[in-house]
Amino acid sequence: MTALPTGVSRKTRWTRRLPFLWLIAPAALFTVIMTAFPILQVVHLSTREFVIGFRSVYTGLDNYREMLADPIFWSGMRVTFELYFLSLAAQLVIGLYLAILLHRALKGSRLLRTVLLSPLAMPPVAVGMMWLILLDPSFGPVNYLLELVGMNKSLFLASPRLVVQTLAAIDTWQYTPFVTLILLGGLQALPEEPYEAAEIDGASRAQRFWRITLPLLRPSIITASILRSVDLLRFFDTIYITTQGGPGTASTTLNIYAYRTGFVFFRMGYASALMLTLMVMVLAITFLLNGVRRRFQ
Amino acid sequence: MRKPGTGEVASTYIQYLVVSIIILAPAAWMIASSFKPSAAVVVYPPILIFEPTIANYVRLFRTLPYLRYTFNSLVIAGGSTAFGLLLAIPAAFAVSWYRTSWPTSVALIARMAPGGLYLLPWYMIFTEMGLHGSFISLVLTHTVITMPITLLIMASFFDEIPRELMECGMIDGCSLGGIIMKIAIPLGAPGMVVSTVLTFILSWNYFLFALVLSRIRTTPLTVAAFRFVGEGVTDWGMLMAAATVLALPPLLIAFLAQKWLVKGLTFGAVKG
Repeated sequence: MTALPTGVSRKTRWTRRLPFLWLIAPAALFTVIMTAFPILQVVHLSTREFVIGFRSVYTGLDNYREMLADPIFWSGMRVTFELYFLSLAAQLVIGLYLAILLHRALKGSRLLRTVLLSPLAMPPVAVGMMWLILLDPSFGPVNYLLELVGMNKSLFLASPRLVVQTLAAIDTWQYTPFVTLILLGGLQALPEEPYEAAEIDGASRAQRFWRITLPLLRPSIITASILRSVDLLRFFDTIYITTQGGPGTASTTLNIYAYRTGFVFFRMGYASALMLTLMVMVLAITFLLNGVRRRFQ
Repeated sequence: MRKPGTGEVASTYIQYLVVSIIILAPAAWMIASSFKPSAAVVVYPPILIFEPTIANYVRLFRTLPYLRYTFNSLVIAGGSTAFGLLLAIPAAFAVSWYRTSWPTSVALIARMAPGGLYLLPWYMIFTEMGLHGSFISLVLTHTVITMPITLLIMASFFDEIPRELMECGMIDGCSLGGIIMKIAIPLGAPGMVVSTVLTFILSWNYFLFALVLSRIRTTPLTVAAFRFVGEGVTDWGMLMAAATVLALPPLLIAFLAQKWLVKGLTFGAVKG
């Protein structure tokens, strides 16, 4: 914006600013009422023992103390981060592989891009139902394929040992294409010169990948990681459809636990403390990754 | 860049094929199962060849109010998409015209909270106001999903409009409102298509808010399908029909509007 000419009074500046306020007012008002105010109320609730229609007592930090001593909170943390790291790692590696594959831009790569969009557009609820039947221990086709290649049938979602890996695999099936789209955008924006220089120097394919593509792609990789992190740390839908946190608490993430505490057991105060903890974690990791991205730009 | 050799081309195509199968086969299995006779769905070893029937769909729409659920989903997704546009377009114009970014940042941070966090107070407030289970509460809450995305997308589309064009309008005596109506909105129309496609799909697919806030009259397809699973299913054919009915509209939109959808999905990444 060009600087205002000197001599413009404060009042004119204010009137120039006025339409701005009018224009953002509806969205701002909506955001305050629907999100800012509820967040404050959840902070307030988290200091109370609050059971709907039963009681509401101020208890200070008791909910947070209870949380730190709660084994399901800690197992929820473990499950949340296991799911997060497993899924993110798989999605970045496979996503990068697919982006490079599509970047070759052969005839037919557009068709593959259309194919890649389909899991992204599907509702997680339908994806969960779909994998319930695919992975069914008694009649699921995945087990049939396992038997065909001489392996044992597996319980998958019903197995306390495998349930987290299985859920990570389902999320990877659905959201790797998202990572691919972002990385493909990054690849298409890369400069040509380093590759031409590498060609002259006789660099091998592997060298070009590790020394040029990967470092230059770092900002896109971190962007994809941020967007996936926000979703993965709050992973809910697919779990709630397929296992509801089970067997036992083997797939009870922090989000699932907080939800059940609030809406199955109606302990709104304790649920508020859990939800706030989860929100702070999401924000912290996002800011951390954002800081990393800034350093690379 | 150098031209790839024949061997390389062949291996790339084989990889294209394998990837496509891994992505499409699960969804194809779901759709195929929805057309199988009941007994054929759970038979082991699984079968690929069967006589297709629409019996599962007939049962689904006869025994359950599935037309009603579909209508509810349409109202909620359509309503929140439209309301999101209505709120976001003026705000996006302001953000772009005055070159500030804090409103988008605030809107995006608000989106990072887990949905369940908002649900705790919403549930209590809507119950107190007698709005629990109403379309109003569902459209309002789903707009929390749609509005920030629309704001982000529209702001970047408005950024693309040449400033001189709008300043000309001002010289010709247009008010700011006139500039928005006569210049910004017509030229930003592609942005409206992009955000409509993306937010309609996101809102249609969103599950958590309606899980708590909907009642029989307003239950959308997502929650109906979930209840169905929760009841301890034995009718897998009908279940797969339910999943297909739920998944088909967003899949169709994605297929028909893929150019726009890709734009919308990668926007946050480019701008972010």
